[in-house]
Amino acid sequence: MSDTRRQKREGRWLAVGLYGYLALVMFVPLVVIALWAFYDPAVGWYPPDIVPTSYSVEPWREVLADRGIIGSLVLSLIISTTVTFLTGALAFPTAWALAHFPFRIKRAVEVFVLAPMIVPGIVVAVSLGEIFFRLGLTQTVLGVILVQTVGTLPLMIRILTATLEGIPGELMLAARTLGASPRRALMRIALPMAWPGFLAGGLLSFISSFEDFEKTFMVGAPGVQPLSVRLWSYLGGEILIFPTAAVVTFILLAPTLIIFFIAERLMKENVLAAGMGKL
Amino acid sequence: MAGLSIRGLTKAFDQVRALDGVDLEVPDGQLVTLLGPSGCGKTTLLRSVAGITDPTEGGIWLGDRRIDGVPPERRNFGMVFQSYALFPHMSVFKNLAFGLEMRRLPRSEIRKRVAQALHLVDMEAMAGRLPRQLSGGQQQRVALARAIVIEPDVLLFDEPLSNLDAKLRDSLRDQLRALQRRLGVTSIYVTHDQVEAMALADEIVIMFSGEIVERGDPVSLYRRPIFRFTAEFLGRTNVIEARLDGDRCRLPWGDERSVENPGIDDPAGVAIRPEDIAISTANGSDPHGEIAERMFLGAGTNYVVDAGGVRVRVNVAGTQNDLIDIGTPVRLTPPKSLHLLRRGRHGSAEALA
Repeated sequence: MSDTRRQKREGRWLAVGLYGYLALVMFVPLVVIALWAFYDPAVGWYPPDIVPTSYSVEPWREVLADRGIIGSLVLSLIISTTVTFLTGALAFPTAWALAHFPFRIKRAVEVFVLAPMIVPGIVVAVSLGEIFFRLGLTQTVLGVILVQTVGTLPLMIRILTATLEGIPGELMLAARTLGASPRRALMRIALPMAWPGFLAGGLLSFISSFEDFEKTFMVGAPGVQPLSVRLWSYLGGEILIFPTAAVVTFILLAPTLIIFFIAERLMKENVLAAGMGKL
Repeated sequence: MAGLSIRGLTKAFDQVRALDGVDLEVPDGQLVTLLGPSGCGKTTLLRSVAGITDPTEGGIWLGDRRIDGVPPERRNFGMVFQSYALFPHMSVFKNLAFGLEMRRLPRSEIRKRVAQALHLVDMEAMAGRLPRQLSGGQQQRVALARAIVIEPDVLLFDEPLSNLDAKLRDSLRDQLRALQRRLGVTSIYVTHDQVEAMALADEIVIMFSGEIVERGDPVSLYRRPIFRFTAEFLGRTNVIEARLDGDRCRLPWGDERSVENPGIDDPAGVAIRPEDIAISTANGSDPHGEIAERMFLGAGTNYVVDAGGVRVRVNVAGTQNDLIDIGTPVRLTPPKSLHLLRRGRHGSAEALA
């Protein structure tokens, strides 16, 4: 009896701790950003006021007055969607090989594949920018898609490899004995079973592509300006303009929130959890 | 339908030979079990027949069609795995339909044949379930139905009952045998469980370290094995070093018996099955030995008797006998005529069991 009661109490403290942590890292910053995004520039917001004394939508009007922002949003959505699917398509064969073939240099290949994750994006962007320039890919949508894919591939490969490793080899063999060619076994068994991995990796790829600035800026600017690049220009050159920055943050946060809301629905089937667990 | 012939099949990995020149005939419609300790090559042999392992040398024929080198999807062999290998993202119905869809059968035909197969294994009610919603026994019945629904030329079983608990294993084993008989499909069944092997097989093939030790129908293989390895692997047996003299032998505790197969090479001893020895308390007459251990099993009682310096296992069946206490002097009555075993290259299987 006392044991279960103690467990209950411990469970409650654990819950308080976790939710507290969540509030601290997610909601407090959001509240601060929200306050900045809606404060009234005409009145201002100075200490010792903890919250602004007056609110307005002035910062929003300023950012959204730019007609080009809708075009940038559409461009961003197109680029991020393409990057996500391209990443999935490119990552699958590599992940399949890493998961199934016991070749000797596997470790080396793994490190090679994952290397871009530990190199800062700006380094990748600068060096690739040079190559892309020579190939005539700078200031093209294709160039931006390619350079973003460089950044999203490692994570996708990592997640997919772990997902595919979890598929018992005997399932593929069973499919073969039942009359499926290797390709059909792959399409009917491995691909659908890798769905949690595709979902988790796809969400992260989409977000990382949508928010990417340095690689996109290096390759795309000034000709190609998806939302992230355009919004960065609102941050204001030498000094940070807080209210506009807050608005920019909100806009960039929107797809992330929408996507995780969708993900949360799908998580009901534990599909996403299965994929995210492979990180 | 046709029988299966395997000739000179060898599978070499880097250093090890998992199969070393195996010859095997599986007559049409018969069930052959491959029995042996783990690592003996039985699974490699089965996988070679299925086409999911490529043999290094030798050939496999189905009737007069040579099939080694044919990819598994074109062999039309059904396979049942130890892990069931059901597709977790498909319903029971979809699992069964998979093989038929690969054969591009019309939908109505698929529905009909899936229903028939599910009926055979008594799983009609579960067609809409996902594999994870089924018990182990139900999953294995679905796996069996999935293998037979394609009307295979050969059925291959890779220790299909090993993951199930004892009671379920027995009932499923009987169902499986009845079904195989009814369908008359040529079958190979891999197992390390000798009871399963005897219950199911038309012929048992004993394997060890990539080779066939001995083969035969269950009765003769159990009663008159050639090698010590077989005698010890197929059930338990006392292998007793007896002094040989022509067609007579003298047991360590003094009894003399005739030998039914005198004059064989490298004799390892005579085989006496524990259940073939009668035991009685000495009651004043000359004892052969005394009870060293006793284990009551319900259906019978197992004793170990210290007799003439050897330990002899004796199993007494039935529950109506008085139990004999440890330390009691006893007399042993082995059968009138005893069977000699050859040592062979395989040695004793006791350490493996």
